Amino acid sequence: MRKTFLKKAAAVTLAMSTVLSMTACGGSDSGSTKKESAPAAAPGERDTVTITMGRQTTANPKFPEGDNYEDNAYIRMVEQELNVDIVDQFEANNGDDYNRQVSLALSAGSLPDIMKVASKDELTELYENELIADLTDVYENYASDYIKSIYDSFDGRALADVTYDGRLMAIPATASDAGPGMFWVRSDWADTLGLTIDADGDRCITLDEVKEITQAFIDGNPEKVSKMVGMSFDPSLTATSSDNANMINTIAYTLGAYPRHWYENENGEIVYGSTTDEMKQALSLVRDWYQEGIIDEQLGTRTWDDITSLLVNGECGVLFGSWHVADWLLNNVYTLNNKAEFEPYVVVNSEGKVNCTHYKATGEYVVVSAAFEHPEIAIQILNLIYDDMVNSAELLEKYPEVDSYLREGVDGTARPYNIEVKSSTYLLSEYQELKAALDGDAAKEDISSAEERTNYDAIKAYEGGNGEVTGWCKIHSRCKGVDMLTYLNDNDMYHWITPIYPQTTTTMKTNWANLQTLEAESFIKIVTGTDDLDESFNTFVSSWKSQGGDTIASEIKEQTGKQ
Amino acid sequence: MLDTKSTGSKIRNTVIHIIVIGLGLACLLPMINIVAISFSGSAAVSANRVGLLPVDFTALAYKRIIEDSQFWRSFRISVIRVALTLVLNLVITVPMAYAMTRSKGDFPARNIYMNLLIFAMLFNGGMIPTYIVVKNLNLLNSIWALILPGAVPVFSVILLMNFFKGVPKALEEAAIIDGASQFQVLLQIMVPCAKPSIATVSLFSIVGSWNDFFGGLIYMQRVEDYPIMTYIQSLNIDLQELVKNAANSAALENVAELSNRNLNAAKIVVAVIPLLIIYPFLQRYLISGLVMGSVKE
Repeated sequence: MRKTFLKKAAAVTLAMSTVLSMTACGGSDSGSTKKESAPAAAPGERDTVTITMGRQTTANPKFPEGDNYEDNAYIRMVEQELNVDIVDQFEANNGDDYNRQVSLALSAGSLPDIMKVASKDELTELYENELIADLTDVYENYASDYIKSIYDSFDGRALADVTYDGRLMAIPATASDAGPGMFWVRSDWADTLGLTIDADGDRCITLDEVKEITQAFIDGNPEKVSKMVGMSFDPSLTATSSDNANMINTIAYTLGAYPRHWYENENGEIVYGSTTDEMKQALSLVRDWYQEGIIDEQLGTRTWDDITSLLVNGECGVLFGSWHVADWLLNNVYTLNNKAEFEPYVVVNSEGKVNCTHYKATGEYVVVSAAFEHPEIAIQILNLIYDDMVNSAELLEKYPEVDSYLREGVDGTARPYNIEVKSSTYLLSEYQELKAALDGDAAKEDISSAEERTNYDAIKAYEGGNGEVTGWCKIHSRCKGVDMLTYLNDNDMYHWITPIYPQTTTTMKTNWANLQTLEAESFIKIVTGTDDLDESFNTFVSSWKSQGGDTIASEIKEQTGKQ
Repeated sequence: MLDTKSTGSKIRNTVIHIIVIGLGLACLLPMINIVAISFSGSAAVSANRVGLLPVDFTALAYKRIIEDSQFWRSFRISVIRVALTLVLNLVITVPMAYAMTRSKGDFPARNIYMNLLIFAMLFNGGMIPTYIVVKNLNLLNSIWALILPGAVPVFSVILLMNFFKGVPKALEEAAIIDGASQFQVLLQIMVPCAKPSIATVSLFSIVGSWNDFFGGLIYMQRVEDYPIMTYIQSLNIDLQELVKNAANSAALENVAELSNRNLNAAKIVVAVIPLLIIYPFLQRYLISGLVMGSVKE
């Protein structure tokens, strides 16, 4: 109770004071962003530059003894290569903790030289108050060709996101498409029950087959538990990305509904996916399944942990989830039951295609303070970490401790920028190398990514019979999950939707939280209730629109019109 | 008074006992469950199979805590913080409460100070102004940032005041007549009489500063400087929230390993132990302290 209150109070104070202090700073700093960038001296020829940074950390970094965020192999390499001294002005865990530190730094008027910001709204505010440096020229002059090619692989979406009035204002993180939410099935159960799934071997199934498989598991009860549950979902039912686990997203997508996404429909109107007719069909289907007992009768009260325990206890053998769901959720199943095997399938629409939404290409940014004298160093760090460290064997020879960091899987947050800069297809190309090595067509040393080399070892050891959970996970996430993504890509099976990821609009600030609650509550009521479907869905749509939905849609239209 | 032998009161007593035992269990069982979880295998925990006894008994979680150097660093910071806060609080609140209970003749400005205190208790500067004050005093990242902002707990002052008011005037007058100074009255008469309420105030101070995580979150800019509760709070990430926010696979894997509920349970158990040790020693004072403070002459 007290905690919630504190949090709320803190959020409000923060928001207010940030706004106030930023308006105050705006005047004094004006003009500094337009500073001409004179050609900078090479790192070796100038004095050591001290850089203060805002660093986003994680709770489980796995540093070797003695190392920490401010002093670790990556940082030492950057300091030596670029003749700089990195001092952390603040560190905080991702999420609220970090955002609070950023707001505090802003309101105290002491921005670090380089920091990460985790939302587009913050970036826009920083830009509008002229607190951050224009990186257009330094990017042009200093960024390596490889780095440029990475950003270009997003067809301009990545850089466009950080471009204001034609100027590049931040270094964007990249986020590749997540792919569809796959239907993961306990294949060992299917074998026990003599169930044939996907008889034609095209790895695609229809919604009807989803239902049949689930029904077969309920009837078969392969582990002889007291009560089988068909499939279970998280009470919020829908999520903001295509591949979330325990959501009805895949069902909705297959029927052409894209809940929690804004996009332009065929008529050029901006619509919110949760309010479309297709969404009604999706809810209707889920409701039918619920009434037929295909879906957990405790839907709405079953928590995430409860669903995990259903899977672990063998009471449930199917779930929707991303390609990597085995790495962090299904691993629990294997730990308690070494016979468990899962197989992913994709659910196709009536035309045999997989409906999927493009993920937003960025979402996190690194910004440079307008007051920082050496904005080019920000780009040089980018080159060093995301180009040289990936591509240059000599660099790793020079810094063996960095090499061992990569091999031992010290968390990526230890790098000066806690962002990923990878090409839009990195997942597929990395898997190709892994697969070649696993198939014996290439050597392990040919795999360029350190992570995949570790995965290679784990998979080989598992195939050798060590029974370790890591190997099991990696076989599922890579040789089944990413393999599926490769398959979909190679056979051109996607039907892509490019959603609009709007900035928070004025009405969103005040009404969005309520609208989200309204949506979640209405959906769960529609699915589990007995009221007339059309009527309750229409009630939801009309109250959604009247409570700000329509205003937000027009605000977004204005926003996209401007860009 | 009541006839304890009558059936009516027997029934009443039984009902009261059942209710009290029920309430006691409601407090106790979750703690036992946490202890059981901390000693169970992580797969059994994720399968919701652990009740009041550990399943697949293992002390692996505790082994990992012992190996976690940050945990011990934070633990030490918290112990130092609690000790410093306690001393500072007592040094300030006891004389303050004594002064505030003097008569208006001895202390003419008493009411002004009292009003200031009450004002400070009801209103505070808010997070950002307090942060800026702490920052401009160069206290950020220093343990004093966790101690000084809470150095004067007004509630404790008022509690002590109420108690001091309850000490018979005659004791004090006798001491003064015998030639005692105000300090002697305070240290030799008031403090020994006020032991129960000083214990109460100490307990508030200890529990409050041990359990506070928010101060560390704001004023400590590096994880190494986090006090124990801030550190534990930072480890308790909700996997589900992270999944909904569409984090990348590496981050999810990382957190899945951490959201390992038995490890978290073990951390909670270890962090609670110091309070469990201190509490029994102060508890008897706590009850009498609160009650005695409430009765005024």
